[in-house]
Amino acid sequence: MLKTSSVAVAKSRLKTLVTSDRVCCAPCDYDNICRELFSSLSKYMEITEENFRVEICRTHILITFAGDET
Amino acid sequence: MGEVIVITSGKGGVGKTTTTANIGAGLSQLEKKVIVIDTDLGLRNLDVVMGLENQIVYNLVDVVEGTCRLKQALIRDKRYENLYLLPSAQTRDKTAISPGQMKKLTSELKEEFDYILLDCPAGIEQGFQNAIAGADRAIIVTTPEVSAIRDADRIIGLLESNHIRDMALIINRIRMDMVRKGDMMTVDDVTEILSIPLIGAIPDDEQVVIGTNQGEPVIGLDSSAGKIYLNVCRRIMGAEVPFADLNAGRGFFARLTDAFRKN
Repeated sequence: MLKTSSVAVAKSRLKTLVTSDRVCCAPCDYDNICRELFSSLSKYMEITEENFRVEICRTHILITFAGDET
Repeated sequence: MGEVIVITSGKGGVGKTTTTANIGAGLSQLEKKVIVIDTDLGLRNLDVVMGLENQIVYNLVDVVEGTCRLKQALIRDKRYENLYLLPSAQTRDKTAISPGQMKKLTSELKEEFDYILLDCPAGIEQGFQNAIAGADRAIIVTTPEVSAIRDADRIIGLLESNHIRDMALIINRIRMDMVRKGDMMTVDDVTEILSIPLIGAIPDDEQVVIGTNQGEPVIGLDSSAGKIYLNVCRRIMGAEVPFADLNAGRGFFARLTDAFRKN
């Protein structure tokens, strides 16, 4: 039970691969893109790491802002 | 007016040809007029999987180059009503035909057939470009493995940028015993990553190997994969068919244990 299932490993490897394939850049570039988008947007909006998310799809980049939690 | 469907995967060996043969046979069983075209120039396989290799006279390149008439190259599968094969050329390569020629050929075939199924070669080079040129829809075949899913994702991106947006996913060779142990990705895991609609989840079935040995589509044999392929065909035709439980046949306690074992 304590051993990580091989599926969990496969899924995390795939997510990294697929994300970097989609933007045609290295996985570390993805992290940098997120960081820079965060810092640019934070100049104009109140965002935290929790309510801000960048998702790279095949044909577009999706930036999600969760807004005020009620 | 018929529909052109390309069956593609990116990675080789995931079951494109077997899927094409079975969907072709299934759609014809459902009373549609179907032609399956092997677009893998130089590596002809679809004829062998269908058991029609001894009947080849002319091939796809002969038709495109005008060496013969289309009707002369078509091989009718006698076991099925209205199922035809246009075989590939074994001695030519992918540069023998162009995407434009494929587009012209498929648009002619649309006049006569309900479904035109294109068995795409592996890879993303000209053979792939030829196969997708005239396609209205795409079926992406993958297996629950990292490399196959990664390639499928890339193929989906390429199809999108070629304006083919009607895509459906077939996950092939699922082994439920491994899924239960947490050693094989589930259907949900794969669809979540690829985010295109699922049209079939095919178990790893010995009958598929037996069928291929005999040159007989598994859809004609009494097998679980055959039944599932028939449902895939119904979904292609637009019917809403619920997905079969791949765990069917396991007892209540076995399923209860599975529920506790999930990660």
